Amino acid sequence: MKEHSCGIGLRFEHIDRILKEQPNIPWLEVLSDNYLNPNSVQQDYLLSIAELYPLSLHGVGMSIGSVDPFNEDYFSLLKALIDRVNPERVSDHLCWTAVHGMVTHDLIPLPYTDETIRYVAGRIREAQERLEREIVIENVSSYLQYKQSAMTEWEFFTAVVEEADCGLLLDVNNIYVSAMNHNFDPLDYLHAIPTKRVRQIHLAGYEDRGTHLLDTHGNHVTEPVWDLYAHAAKQVGNIPTLIEWDNDVPELEILLAEADKAGSIQLEHTA
Amino acid sequence: MNTPPESLKQLQTHFSEAVFSDQRGLIAESVMQQGELSAEQRVGIYRNSVHGILWQYLASLYPVCNQLVGEKFFEGFSDLFIDQHPPGTPFLADYGDGFSAFMREHDAFAKIRWINQVAELEWARHQAWHDTNQLVTDFSLLATLTEEQQLSAQFQLPDSMQILHSPYAIHQVWLAHQPEDYAGKIPLEEIQLQQDDYIIVWRSERQLQQVQINEQQWQFLSAVRQNKSLAELSEQFQEPVGVLLASAIQHGWIISFRNY
Repeated sequence: MKEHSCGIGLRFEHIDRILKEQPNIPWLEVLSDNYLNPNSVQQDYLLSIAELYPLSLHGVGMSIGSVDPFNEDYFSLLKALIDRVNPERVSDHLCWTAVHGMVTHDLIPLPYTDETIRYVAGRIREAQERLEREIVIENVSSYLQYKQSAMTEWEFFTAVVEEADCGLLLDVNNIYVSAMNHNFDPLDYLHAIPTKRVRQIHLAGYEDRGTHLLDTHGNHVTEPVWDLYAHAAKQVGNIPTLIEWDNDVPELEILLAEADKAGSIQLEHTA
Repeated sequence: MNTPPESLKQLQTHFSEAVFSDQRGLIAESVMQQGELSAEQRVGIYRNSVHGILWQYLASLYPVCNQLVGEKFFEGFSDLFIDQHPPGTPFLADYGDGFSAFMREHDAFAKIRWINQVAELEWARHQAWHDTNQLVTDFSLLATLTEEQQLSAQFQLPDSMQILHSPYAIHQVWLAHQPEDYAGKIPLEEIQLQQDDYIIVWRSERQLQQVQINEQQWQFLSAVRQNKSLAELSEQFQEPVGVLLASAIQHGWIISFRNY
C-alpha cells in the first residue's frame, strides 16, 4: 500500500510522548529557532528525535527581506544545527521580521517590485551560500497591500524563487487567507507557481475575524483550504505536506488525524 | 554588494514605528485602502499580532506574575514593556530580561514589590532551563590529590545554577500557584510574605530543579561561584565546610572541581 508523505510540526509538549511511543509519522518539521542553542535541553531533545524521524527545519529568524544585515550568530548556530541533524529541508519565509535591530518575531510582507525581487533574491542566494545548501522559501499570509507594489504576489513569489534559484514552500492556507483578504482567486495563484520548485506544502487553520481572515495556526484546516490542497496535490504531485498547529496545540492524536486526512487527499489526487 | 533599496528601508522604518511605537500614520500612507478596513486598521493588525506573540511569550515566561496581577493587567503591562523594550535578537528565548526591572520602576508595583521578586525567580527558572548541560565529575578523584592540591581546588556549579536571595517568601508564592502538590505548599493567603528566602534553581539533565536552601548554604554556593579555593572556603566557613561541600556534591549543586 502506498504511503503518504504528510507530517506534523514537532511541538515541545509532544516530545516526550513521541520519543516514548515513536508513532508512525513520515517526518517532522521543527521550529529551528527554538533549538539553536547547543547543549540546551531543546537541542538535546531534538538530537534524540533526529535519530528516529526525518526532519525539516523551519524558521522565522533569517529575516530574508530585511534591510538589516544578516544576524551572524543566527546563521552560525543554524548551520551548526543543520550539520548535527542533517534535515531534509531548511525553510524560512518571503517576508521581513526585523529592522534597525528590532525583531518583531512576526512575518511582515514585502512590496512587490522589481527592485525588491533583485534585493531579496540576492539575500536568499547569500543565505544559501552561508548554509551551503538550498533553502526553501514560503509565501506568507498578508493583511495589507502596499501602494508601491507593481505586480501580484504570485508573480513576485515566482520571480524571487527563480532568480534566487531556491526551493518553494507552498503554504496553501496562506494563499487562501491572502486571497480572501485581497479578493483574488486562489487558483490563479496556485496555477502560476513554478511546480518544479515546490519542495514542501503547509496546511493550517485560520480564524475568521469578520473583516479579515487571520492566519492563527490554532485550529483545524478548513474545508476551502482542503479543497485548494486537493488542487495543489494534483498540480505538484506527492510533495511532503505538513500540518502546522502552533497555538492552542491539541493532543498528538488530533494532529496525526489531520495529517492522515491530508495524506488521503494527497494519495487520491496523485495516484 | 547587495544594497537594500532606499524605498524598502523607509517602508520598514515606518512599519517598525507602527509596531513598536503605535505611530501608524507614515506607514499607512503606503498602504492601500481595501474593503471595510482603513489602511491604519490594516497596519494595526500587524501591531496587534506582534504584541500578541510577545505578550503570550512573556505570559509563558512569567506565569505566576500573570496569575498574580490578572491576565488583563499583564497584557496591558506587557504592551508597555514591548514598546519600550522591543526584542533585539532573533532568539525569542533571550527576550524578557529586564521585565522585573521594568516592574520595579512602574508605579503600579510600588506597594507590591514582592511581585517583581517573583518575576526575578521566574526569569531565573527560564535562564536555568535554557542553559547548557555539563558532565558531572567523578569526585572520588579528589581523594587522589595531595593535601596541597586539595586545598587549592576550586569547585564548579552547573552553568544553569541560579542563586537567589529575596526579602520575600517568593518560593512559597511560586509553589502556591503550581497545579501540582508539593511538600510545604500552602495557600497564598497563609504565606508570611516578609521573610528572607534563599533559593537555587538549576537544570539536571532534562529536569528543572528549584530548592529552598538556608542562609549558610546560600553563602557557601555564592562563595563557590566566586571561585574560592577549598582553603578559602575552609577559612570562611570553618568546621561546617565539610558538611556543606558534601551536601552540595550529593545534591548535584556542585558538579566538578579543578585544581591548580
